[in-house]
Amino acid sequence: MGHPYLILTSLFGLFGLDGWAAKNPHVTYMWLAMIVLIFFGWLGGKSISMVPKKAQNVFEVLISGLEDFMVTITGDEGRKSFPLVLTIFIFVLFGNLMGLVPAFFPPTANINTTLALAIIAVVWSHVIGIQLHGVKYIKHFLGPIPAMIPLFLPIEIIGHTARVLSLTFRLFGNMAGHELVTIILLTLGGMFLAPLPVMALGTFVALVQALVFFLLSTMYIAGAIEEAH
Amino acid sequence: MKKKTGSVFRELGYFASLGMSVALSIFLGLFLGLWLDKKFDTDPILMFIGLAMGIAAGFSNIIRAGKKGRKF
Repeated sequence: MGHPYLILTSLFGLFGLDGWAAKNPHVTYMWLAMIVLIFFGWLGGKSISMVPKKAQNVFEVLISGLEDFMVTITGDEGRKSFPLVLTIFIFVLFGNLMGLVPAFFPPTANINTTLALAIIAVVWSHVIGIQLHGVKYIKHFLGPIPAMIPLFLPIEIIGHTARVLSLTFRLFGNMAGHELVTIILLTLGGMFLAPLPVMALGTFVALVQALVFFLLSTMYIAGAIEEAH
Repeated sequence: MKKKTGSVFRELGYFASLGMSVALSIFLGLFLGLWLDKKFDTDPILMFIGLAMGIAAGFSNIIRAGKKGRKF
């Protein structure tokens, strides 16, 4: 079931890229999200002063609040990976909220986007672990007893791959499901504001899913930082 | 670890994600076993081994969460 009308697809149609843009709406809308987020970042960083003004206030509350939240989970070593995780959080939040605007497609409702984000988050947690522990990081995968290494290694590898999949499918499923329910209610009873309650729920789901993605990425980073059992 | 107001959400998010990771570990082990079976032509054996590995991985997730839960 396709989206009834996408504004960027018809915009790309002006340049004759109609078919491509209709097939990959997540790519075009991710570009839009990137442009908007880069613009906001430029706006926030343009005039940093000691006494914050309007825009800077908002960014400072958001960023410092989340940074404190992350440091309570990971400890001080996790501060280094905060920019990446915050970027993922803001991108996911903005992408999710995009789905509430009519004629917009949330880029996080496509499995390619969420898989890319999940792979980045999980691979980064292993990079952090290797940076902190060096070769000893492999102890995380070997279990407590040396004799049981052949048993524990595949189990741990399966468990760590399942992290990527669970991050992927949670975000994708929530956002694609929200899109689908909205479209179905719109086609069935759009004249009677039927999708309105679902869209109200959608704002909540967008925030919660972005927060869960952020939280689980920090959890994985915290798990890589702590000493092996 | 200090107790803070955010810890409720932290636990909620972590434990809510537990069920999904258990289910996905089991399916991952199962499909890994099936794929290896097709590759090496040993029809049911590796599938069961993979399934057992997946179940063990899922349960190790639960055990680790339980250990972590005591620390919160």
